[in-house]
Amino acid sequence: MPITPDCRILIVGAGLAGYHTARGLRAHGHTGSITVIGEESRPAYDRPALSKAYLTGAVSEEDLHLDDPENPLDVTWVSGRGVVGLSQSPLGVETNDGGFHEADAVVITTGASACTLPPAESDSGSYVRPYVLRSMEDALALRDANLYGADVVVVGGGFLALEAAATCIGRGAESVTVAAGEELPGAKRLGRPVGQAIRIAHEARGIQFAPPGRAMGLRSSYSGETVRHEVVLEGGQQLEAHVVICAIGAKPRTEWLRDSGVPLTADTSAILCDDTGATSVPGVYAAGDCAQWASHSSGLRPVGHWQEAVEEAGVIAATLTGANPVSLQEPYFWSDQFDLRIQGAGRIHSADQHEVLEGTPEEGNLLVRYLRDGQETGILGINRLRDVKCWRKRRQIRSTPAQQTSAPSTGQIPTLSR
Amino acid sequence: MRIDSVNPPIAVFLTDEGDVHAIDDTCTHQDASLAAGWVEDCRVECPLHESTFSLLTGEVDQPPAKRGVRVHEVELEGDDVLVELSDKAPQLPPGVTL
Ligand SMILES: Cc1cc2nc3c(=O)[nH]c(=O)nc-3n(C[C@H](O)[C@H](O)[C@H](O)COP(=O)(O)OP(=O)(O)OC[C@H]3O[C@@H](n4cnc5c(N)ncnc54)[C@H](O)[C@@H]3O)c2cc1C
Ligand code: FES
Repeated sequence: MPITPDCRILIVGAGLAGYHTARGLRAHGHTGSITVIGEESRPAYDRPALSKAYLTGAVSEEDLHLDDPENPLDVTWVSGRGVVGLSQSPLGVETNDGGFHEADAVVITTGASACTLPPAESDSGSYVRPYVLRSMEDALALRDANLYGADVVVVGGGFLALEAAATCIGRGAESVTVAAGEELPGAKRLGRPVGQAIRIAHEARGIQFAPPGRAMGLRSSYSGETVRHEVVLEGGQQLEAHVVICAIGAKPRTEWLRDSGVPLTADTSAILCDDTGATSVPGVYAAGDCAQWASHSSGLRPVGHWQEAVEEAGVIAATLTGANPVSLQEPYFWSDQFDLRIQGAGRIHSADQHEVLEGTPEEGNLLVRYLRDGQETGILGINRLRDVKCWRKRRQIRSTPAQQTSAPSTGQIPTLSR
Repeated sequence: MRIDSVNPPIAVFLTDEGDVHAIDDTCTHQDASLAAGWVEDCRVECPLHESTFSLLTGEVDQPPAKRGVRVHEVELEGDDVLVELSDKAPQLPPGVTL
């Protein structure tokens, strides 16, 4: 439902999707007020480097700011205020300082929070929180930790875990062990060759892999000033560590919406939206990691990737301003681990077959295509930037509404996987 | 085509219209080679994200990159492409040094 150009728009969550919604609204000529409320007191920033170059010190916080100081967006940033509730009538949100912000449309972009390991069941030992990676604060804590000579255990087998593990090697860790659910990380989702390529690259740099199994909990003990941790795996095996980094997934930040009347999914508590980003509450929209659009619910698209958040923000900005409708493109993600640049595009998560087109796991130059019912649905390249870009551009939906194609309806519901 | 005998490397493009252009090869957002990007309408789209750079002016159209790249002057002499390197300072992405 388009609103008039002078309406007041409120964006909850000053992250990637929030920034791009505001940017898109201005680009489409919205003249009314745009207010972005964020609980963090720092300027809005981009997250991908937090598990990569930020940890090694190659990039700084300023490098990651989303807004361009030389060409700033015309929006009101309200920082350091958590939003605690939503009211439908009058439409608006309540902040944790007791304030109420009224608006003509509310766009929710609160992202997700990192899951962590619970304390292990035991009658001895205490619990010290492991490092997680979601916010700049989290990454700063890990960046400031002294890894020199430390035994590091990274819990999780997704890209976030593998990226973080890769950064520990250059920081002087004595040992880095990845505790993942799979023997070949990512093999179930991306196919065996990709899992092999990842494992080979990590092992070549000295990273070890614990026997595959679910991590059940964490136990910590002090001897003098130093803390030792034990990660308890399914089956009772224990991994000892000085430093534990936990990257086992993320949960939508929607706890504040529980009594708001905005429908959430039963399993993940993500905000349910149609494919324009609209919830069933008039004037309330959602994008990014906190949301599950109809295409996600039906298994057509994966959630939890950067590109997804940017594109959804673009769709909402077009919806709200009545601009030409914008289509979501083929899903896309990338990851950097050592000198591997992994890029995947298309509907990899719902493929039933994969095929190596070129390269080998050992050489770190794989090009793999994915099929479903014999039809090509996705591509993944390791250090294959040109191939992946060409694949995406060939399938790009240009924004003339008449040409819109509809997607094949197959697959199951994926969850946040980073 | 990426030419890395100079530092920082440059990218030389032959467009569908038959024109030759040379710009800095490294995207200003992250360390990605623009020579591996997608060329259309006299712009190159970065192979990693969606910023595009003008082959004529080097300016960038949209995030995540915020800065443009340098454009180098190109002259054609028979089959040879002569590139005169810009004397401006390059805009390298954070974490990448000369
Ligand atoms: C460490 C890391 C590395 C990643 N690397 C990659 C990668 O290599 N490739 C890739 O494709 N994707 C990557 N991703 C995923 C990508 O960054 C996310 O999909 C993207 O950030 C989602 O954007 P968002 O706006 O939904 O959420 P966010 O960017 O998390 O923004 C949400 C904001 O809302 C704020 N907020 C939450 N609740 C409230 C509240 N109640 N009141 C006020 N403010 C609130 C939060 O503090 C946060 O600032 C990575 C993610 C992380 C965490
Ligand atoms: S690396 Fe070029 S836009 Fe990100």
